[in-house]
Amino acid sequence: MTLQIELNGVNKYYGAFHALKDINLAIEKGTFVALVGPSGCGKSTLLRSLAGLEKISTGEMKIAGQLMNNVPPRKRDVAMVFQSYALYPHMTVEENLTYSLRIRGVKKAEARKAAEEVAATTGLSHLMKRYPRELSGGQRQRVAMSRAIIRHPKAFLFDEPLSNLDAALRVHMRKEIRALHDRLHATSVYVTHDQIEAMTMADHVVVMRDGVIEQQGRPLDLYDRPANRFVAGFIGSPAMNFIPAVVGEDGTHVLLNLGTTQARLALADPLAPGRAVTAGIRPEHIRIVAAGQGAFDVPVGVVESTGSATYITSATQPELTVVETGRGDVRGGDIIGLSIDTMQLHLFDAETGKRLEAERARGDAGAPRHLHLAQAVR
Amino acid sequence: MKRILASVTDGKGFDIGLVLLPLAFLFIMSGLPLVYNVVMSFQEVDMFSLGSFVRPFVGFKNYVDLFSQPETRPILLNTALFVSSSIAGQFLIGFGLALFFWMNFPGASWLRGLFLVSWVMPGLVVGAIWNWILSGDFGVLNFLLRETGVIEGNIFWRSDPNYSLWAVIIANIWLGTSFNMILLSVGLSGIPKDLYEAAELDGANALQRFFTITLPMMRSTIGAIIALGLIFTLQQFDLFAGITSGGPNNSSNVTQYWAWDLSFRQYDFAKGATISVIMIVFVMLASVVYVRSTRHEVRG
Repeated sequence: MTLQIELNGVNKYYGAFHALKDINLAIEKGTFVALVGPSGCGKSTLLRSLAGLEKISTGEMKIAGQLMNNVPPRKRDVAMVFQSYALYPHMTVEENLTYSLRIRGVKKAEARKAAEEVAATTGLSHLMKRYPRELSGGQRQRVAMSRAIIRHPKAFLFDEPLSNLDAALRVHMRKEIRALHDRLHATSVYVTHDQIEAMTMADHVVVMRDGVIEQQGRPLDLYDRPANRFVAGFIGSPAMNFIPAVVGEDGTHVLLNLGTTQARLALADPLAPGRAVTAGIRPEHIRIVAAGQGAFDVPVGVVESTGSATYITSATQPELTVVETGRGDVRGGDIIGLSIDTMQLHLFDAETGKRLEAERARGDAGAPRHLHLAQAVR
Repeated sequence: MKRILASVTDGKGFDIGLVLLPLAFLFIMSGLPLVYNVVMSFQEVDMFSLGSFVRPFVGFKNYVDLFSQPETRPILLNTALFVSSSIAGQFLIGFGLALFFWMNFPGASWLRGLFLVSWVMPGLVVGAIWNWILSGDFGVLNFLLRETGVIEGNIFWRSDPNYSLWAVIIANIWLGTSFNMILLSVGLSGIPKDLYEAAELDGANALQRFFTITLPMMRSTIGAIIALGLIFTLQQFDLFAGITSGGPNNSSNVTQYWAWDLSFRQYDFAKGATISVIMIVFVMLASVVYVRSTRHEVRG
């Protein structure tokens, strides 16, 4: 495969503020890449740098093999879908779609034909004469995408395109954008703060924080083997439970500290005795058993049910969240036992937050089915 | 009685009261004089009938007389030239400055504020300043033009009939440019930045962005500012009083100054009123344009 986008050692400073720190990224042609992270992590800056709307300070940036550092946006041949859509309010839908063609001097009839073709695939044909202010949010979103599609650009850049839509439409458009990508085989870079969008849409997820790429890889790899505590907590919903823990004296087990309760879990591979670690366990990897039957017992705090799944939060310090499919019969105040699959236990260095790779054979049979259910209901 | 009182304190009566108060004020302060002026233009008015409202009705005699006077045509043409040149100058320079300050270099907003100085100055003061600048024998403008080689001999701006109107136009452009600039700056800052980014990614260069994004998005602002310019230049009186007094030999006279001259210097109140009525028509047309363009704002 050929590389469509290459970033080597890219840095961006705003005065003294270091917005992008030594970014290295290689995107193959035709892949859908999601840049995800909390607000202010630099993901939008990175996207805008790709578009040329921000100038990178150091490093090199290539699109389709060409160095782009000093190429102005209008010569980069990339299309961007803005969070605000940025439709031209004084132009009809058709004029919005054909704008880039008309600027390039394409003949009117030809431009109109191209617009009609694109509009037919995005379901805008009956709206061609309307102005943006006469369209609904979803329709505007489609116009913004069609305006990008009509250009056949080297790359599509999406800047949180779904965040102005309501929840139901967002789920729908998520699928539509992905279907569109599969049809056009275009290289897409998609910025979002919503890890579910990143997980469900992308081939390759890049998690960023404070201008640094924390981890990148296939969505489920990130889910199964987060490189550090930040990624572990960011990817997955509901979020992973983190419990302060200490490796036992013989190094073969770990002691979880839940305030009043302590739990002892066997380690598959030994670690240095007495080492302070953070244990991470996803809510769907904890099973509820009768009191005294599991690894440890906890009092129940809050029970929330969505109908298809039940979220149980323990009254411990720190709180533990457990997800059960269906409707449990647990109530607040009950004492329950928790059973933890030690194969699914993640260990992070207590100080650096780095993943501790006790090279044990992980029986990665993939995440259990109900995980997807839990995500879908959110 | 009680119901009326209750309605005034917390009902429809209160709303009506709120509307009536300014309406009454407008009618007394603007409406009545306007009507009085229109009525007067159809009457025979002299010094002795000035005090009474009931005067002999003469139909369109004042209008016919006015247009048979030899100076009417040149003065109307002067007015047209004054209004169009002033608006063109104010708008073009104002737009240029607005675009310049829009680039937001350090100190831009501070400098832009400084430009407003010309607008807050009274017309008579501006007139006095420009009298010095335009002065024929020792004026700065003549000096500059002479030193740069544009002219050979001094131009007597205020007393040469070929230049007297332009003397007022130059001063008026200086006076009104900053107002145009401020309104246009507001219009420019109302255009969302991402439109330019989208257009840039769509391949438009700076000139194309100006013509396809900036100008169309500024349509309502431009319409409003031209209508306001028409209204303001038709109101411009101080500069004529301060610079040329309409002379020499009416070469820089315009309708608004002439109306005052006829009424209060020649005591021909009927003709003064007649000219005012003609001007009212133009100002009303401009007002319609203004109201329409501010109502039809194109925004996201």
